[in-house]
Amino acid sequence: MALEDLRNEMETCRRCSACKFIPLEKVDNYEHVNVCPSIARYDFHTYSAGGRMVFAVAKLEDRIDYSDKLLEVVYNCQMCGACDVSCKYAMDMEVMEPLYEFRIRCVEDGQTLPALDKVINSLRKQGTMVPGAKAKRGAWAEGLDIKDVTKEKVKVLYHVGCRTSYDKDLWKVAKATVSLLSKAGVDVGIAGAEEVCCGGRAYQMGYKDDFLKQAEQNLETFRKSGAEILVTSCAEGYQAFKVLYDKYGMQPDIEVLHITEYLDRLITEGRLKPKKKVNMRVTYHDPCYLGRLGEPYIHWEGREIPGHIRVFDPPKEFRRGTYGVYEPPRDVLKSIPGLKLTEMDRIKEYAWCCGAGGGVCDSNPDYAMWTARERISEAESTGAEAMVTACPWCEKTFDDAIRESGSSLKLYDVVELLDKAV
Amino acid sequence: MVDEVKLKKIVGAGNVSANPEVLESYAGDMSFVNAVRPECVVKPRNADEVDKIVKLARETLTPLVPVSSGTPHFRGDTVPGAGGAVIVDMSGMKKIIRVDRENRVAMFEPGVTFGELIPAVTKEGLRLNMPLVPRKTKSVAASMLEREPVVMPKYHWDIADPLNCVEIYFGNGSMFRTGAAAGPGNLEEQWVAGGAQVEAAGPSSNSWYRIIQGSQGTMGIVTWASARCEILPELEEPFLVGSSQLDKVMDMLHWLVRLRLANECFAVNNTVLAALMAKKWPDDYYDIREGLPAWIIFYNLAGYEYLPEERVKGQVEDAIDIAQKVGVEPVQAIGKISADDLLKAVQNPSGEPYWKLRYKGACQDILFLTIYDKLPELIRAMYEMVEEAGYANSDLGIYIQPIVQGSNVHCEFNLFYDPENRREADRVKELAGRATRELMARGAFFSRPYAENTLDIMNRDTATVNTLKKVKSILDPDNIMNPGKLCF
Amino acid sequence: MALNRDFYKAVEDVLGPEYISDDPVVTESYSFPIRAATAGPKGEYLPRFEAITLPKNTREVQAIVKLCNKYKVQFKASSTGWLYSDPAGPDCIKIDLRRMNSILEINEKNMYAVVEPYVIYAQLQAELMKRGLNCNVTGAGSNCSALPLAAHVNLGHLSQTGSYGERNQLALEWVTGDGEIVRMGSLGSSDEWFCGDGPGPSLRGIIRGNTVPLGGLGVFTAAAQKVYHWPGPPTFSIEGVCPHYSPSELPPGFMIRYLSFKTVDAMIEAVRKIGESEIGFELMGFNAAMMASNVATDNEEDLRYFKQFSDQVQGPGFMVNIAATSQRDFKYKKRVLEMIMEQTDALSLKDVEDPKLGAGFLWRFIRTVGSIRETSRATGWGGGTVGGTDVFPLMTRYIMYTVDLKQELIDKGMILDDAIYPFVQSIEHGHTGHGEILIRYAPTNAEQMDNIQGFLNRAANKRAIEGRFGVPQHVWSDELHDMYGPEACNYHMLLRKIKKTFDPNGASESSNYITAKDV
Repeated sequence: MALEDLRNEMETCRRCSACKFIPLEKVDNYEHVNVCPSIARYDFHTYSAGGRMVFAVAKLEDRIDYSDKLLEVVYNCQMCGACDVSCKYAMDMEVMEPLYEFRIRCVEDGQTLPALDKVINSLRKQGTMVPGAKAKRGAWAEGLDIKDVTKEKVKVLYHVGCRTSYDKDLWKVAKATVSLLSKAGVDVGIAGAEEVCCGGRAYQMGYKDDFLKQAEQNLETFRKSGAEILVTSCAEGYQAFKVLYDKYGMQPDIEVLHITEYLDRLITEGRLKPKKKVNMRVTYHDPCYLGRLGEPYIHWEGREIPGHIRVFDPPKEFRRGTYGVYEPPRDVLKSIPGLKLTEMDRIKEYAWCCGAGGGVCDSNPDYAMWTARERISEAESTGAEAMVTACPWCEKTFDDAIRESGSSLKLYDVVELLDKAV
Repeated sequence: MVDEVKLKKIVGAGNVSANPEVLESYAGDMSFVNAVRPECVVKPRNADEVDKIVKLARETLTPLVPVSSGTPHFRGDTVPGAGGAVIVDMSGMKKIIRVDRENRVAMFEPGVTFGELIPAVTKEGLRLNMPLVPRKTKSVAASMLEREPVVMPKYHWDIADPLNCVEIYFGNGSMFRTGAAAGPGNLEEQWVAGGAQVEAAGPSSNSWYRIIQGSQGTMGIVTWASARCEILPELEEPFLVGSSQLDKVMDMLHWLVRLRLANECFAVNNTVLAALMAKKWPDDYYDIREGLPAWIIFYNLAGYEYLPEERVKGQVEDAIDIAQKVGVEPVQAIGKISADDLLKAVQNPSGEPYWKLRYKGACQDILFLTIYDKLPELIRAMYEMVEEAGYANSDLGIYIQPIVQGSNVHCEFNLFYDPENRREADRVKELAGRATRELMARGAFFSRPYAENTLDIMNRDTATVNTLKKVKSILDPDNIMNPGKLCF
Repeated sequence: MALNRDFYKAVEDVLGPEYISDDPVVTESYSFPIRAATAGPKGEYLPRFEAITLPKNTREVQAIVKLCNKYKVQFKASSTGWLYSDPAGPDCIKIDLRRMNSILEINEKNMYAVVEPYVIYAQLQAELMKRGLNCNVTGAGSNCSALPLAAHVNLGHLSQTGSYGERNQLALEWVTGDGEIVRMGSLGSSDEWFCGDGPGPSLRGIIRGNTVPLGGLGVFTAAAQKVYHWPGPPTFSIEGVCPHYSPSELPPGFMIRYLSFKTVDAMIEAVRKIGESEIGFELMGFNAAMMASNVATDNEEDLRYFKQFSDQVQGPGFMVNIAATSQRDFKYKKRVLEMIMEQTDALSLKDVEDPKLGAGFLWRFIRTVGSIRETSRATGWGGGTVGGTDVFPLMTRYIMYTVDLKQELIDKGMILDDAIYPFVQSIEHGHTGHGEILIRYAPTNAEQMDNIQGFLNRAANKRAIEGRFGVPQHVWSDELHDMYGPEACNYHMLLRKIKKTFDPNGASESSNYITAKDV
């Protein structure tokens, strides 16, 4: 849908500020009430979803023009989707869609940031959003006996993702993933150097054409692998495959699961038996793209029925973050003996973003770090020894933030902890 | 100087007096404020006459001092603060204009006393939220205009309660009705429409009644007031709680008010209770006092139209639960005082002489607002000062009244003394002055400054003083209304 | 119009460059999201702020205000800024109080809380509930400022037992229109927040009445308010995922009912009885449409619930809930409510009796999260008219007149047909009350809006004056004050004098208050 087609959505904004806060029914204390990192950091209403709706309409009407300031505001947003959830508690209007379309329009009009262009160049040349050579993408698996899906068919295709593939600190997660799947007797393979980026981050940044190109490439890989199940340990990858590809009519003919969903299934089926104690007090961070943004896409085509209440023909079901992947990671953690899970104040559909998404970790690392540090502080307030999450981008950002802040909080992926227990 | 002839034309010859004895009676009061003789005393009979008096005073810049209550006066606010003043004594304006059961409101003129209003509202099944046993001659309107604390904190939603609306003739010569009374329409039209002059705030973005309250007649002259009333209970069960420990007293008061269990609810020390209840002096007083613990809480539980017995029974048990947690015991009598007798006393004005005067003939009050956390320190400080002044601490009366549904605590120290004894009077005067200054320094908030301590109090907050002066310049630009009071 | 650069630089020196902006992207985003369709016959938009400022504390607010006076720039302060926060003309800056967001004090023994303007009610209530206390969340919602002077009126769902802003407010810190700082009551004299009155007269009287100046009289930078006993749990255990939240249970000691009545008089009588017996914790005269919007998670469901609830009501009604402080208290209050229901022939809406649905309503009303759904979800646009606050029967009768106006608009198909029952509420156990008629519609152009909202305003104003219904709370602006003032003791002249005295240079943009013209 073009930005113009979303005008009515944007104009439905009533300036209530709900988009700045977690759903108000869930506010339990003074401290953790903000849900939008952008306005929490920059304070001007401009940075909130409500502010963005207004200036987007202004742009459509040529009352403002592209400028450094406009781009700064546009790209200082992790596209985390929290505003969309909070707004849709009460309203029937799209919030994320105009945000996506505005960025797409910026890119179409050549209005981008050099830092993001650089990342996209890497994507175009090397098939990765993280600096690294294409040929080295599978280096993490050296020495491991894992099937190569470019050479043989598998039942389960494991998509590792750019972040994990090119970050040595995160190779342990990939290795633990493979270890667990092997323990469960899963017929799993990887694409290695032939694996390419899901394109999700490119889409978040507004580079829709690049995203579509990545989608085409990945669909081909899936098809060739013969796999029935696609698992990924990257939340953004999950959201791209599960939601975005579907959105653009490119739903892969394969069951898409996040690794935590698959592991939960394997535990339920008895194929993985967590028996070893892992004595730790942990808190779980919901990655945005696994949680609220990982909700399946709902196709709808119709029209708004003219009248004094926004109803549609056929009736439109809004995606509100209700059906994101929240429980499987928690169920996996709860299955680990000795592990005590304490929740933070902002969780599930109203979790605070790690700070990495939307291109922010490249365009404004300081802001990404600020966002992450807020979350570290929230995790510490639970009394947990460790924060656990299920996305390499979250892990990378939190890791940096922990080091920068001198926090003693430990950090794990769900997969790592389960691997210790099995 | 105003022309008496013109005054007589307004109110009638019999209602203007320049008799020296009469003037002398208004020249001073029971406070230590300096005596200033007025020029004359005028007694208007209605609002129209008040209007004309104000306009006349403006022509000659004659100070006007409004008075509504009968004597004795206590706080110095009705003693002229400037020479050449005319006392506008409205104590003869005694019309009870309306009592409205459905809307729980009464409307009356300034001269109406508690003793006169109570039967009128009782007839309609209503009651007033009263100050603690006011004197017989006390005007209800004046009491409310002074923001006197009331004994039912549960029904004290705002410090201004129970005052609703007033009609006032400002010093600038204009008439104004506050709140819902402002209009549209005159009072009769509002009544026909169903209005009852209850909403005190407004109209719109001002609440002038708040400026008029506490102003000690420095903004204008009020010619009627409406007051919020409560329903007369069908059943009442009063209790007393005795304790030597102030923290338990505060705890018990806090919960009785917080849970909105009690209607009347306050604490006094044994001195005050004895002074209130003694019938024969002095033996009765000393007898009663000796039989009382240091502190006594009084609270009254009430039932109304629906299942009053069940309601009261439940509240009695709930109050006992609180008392057990606090570590005190509600009883129906302590020493020679029964809760029933005290209830009767607090639901009526004082008999004659006024209870504060029975002990020694005079009483200087030190009254301020505070919070529970600060109260013990302030009481301790007062006792220290009392001792240093050589004043018998057993003679110090203390009255603790939670107000504004418990968000404030009114604390009042009563210094009883013999006005004929010059030394005693001087001691009390000095003690009162010192206490005011030192208690203020310790955080007591003297929201109602009177008499000789006024400037000390006002000068703590110059921004407020400046702001008040600006407001005064709007409502009384010629400063004819009770000049010399507050900061004016 | 470009802002004086010296002024901009001076403010920047006070705040730091990060906290002021005159970039069009920023200033544009602060305009109320008005639509092209509603922008007036010539497509005129509301004026934009020249710059947005974000002060951190009172000292910075004062500095900005003084600079505005010096350079003849207007300012308009707001916190969360939902409605009434726009300028009326050029040369106006925004003072966005977002960075002033601290809870300064909660005094549990004397039951008051002190907040800066950008603490939202959800935050304050959450902290109070942990301490066994509660506040009257403003009716607009817990997404709004907890400062009792920030909202239009600060009535709320708890007004039955928790009064409203004009009466809950205690001490206040105020930066006047010309940059003086006034600390009212005990704050000025003894640095405590518990009392807003004195010494002597109470200055609370000049800064608000039953409405507030809406940005037109300087800046309110911190205020204390009374809070109340909370007999419920420290937190409500909420299950589900957004938007399908639901408390896991109705807490002990709580009960909620929606009662409807055959006639308005019967409803008024029930309100009187419930008030005088002091059994209601909250009493809010929502109608079936508001109840439906409150529970529904989308517009389709809204319409279904509306039909479902409408079939279960017999006329105007209200939601009442009981919150008891003990089992005995609960037993008593429940029994009395049942007696009153019988006496007034009240019909209880069955769905609300369901513990799960009822618990959801209870929590949403206590946390006051329904207003956005009730007023804005239909089309993002709405309106209506309001009365004042005076005796409940009078306020109800006034709003019943406006119900006829709503019916007219419905009959012409100009607004959503969500039935005509008004929204009324009881305040302080029925001593006073308030009423509103709410309408929802899709705005198409300025003329259409005038035929709807303008028509409602004109007819309601005429009726309020002729019928002697008091000065309603929507009365602001010179035009309306000039209309009502002469009918109500010329209060508008006093209001103008206050404006002139405390904002002599007219630095506070006061299109939603009054100007000092003719003074």
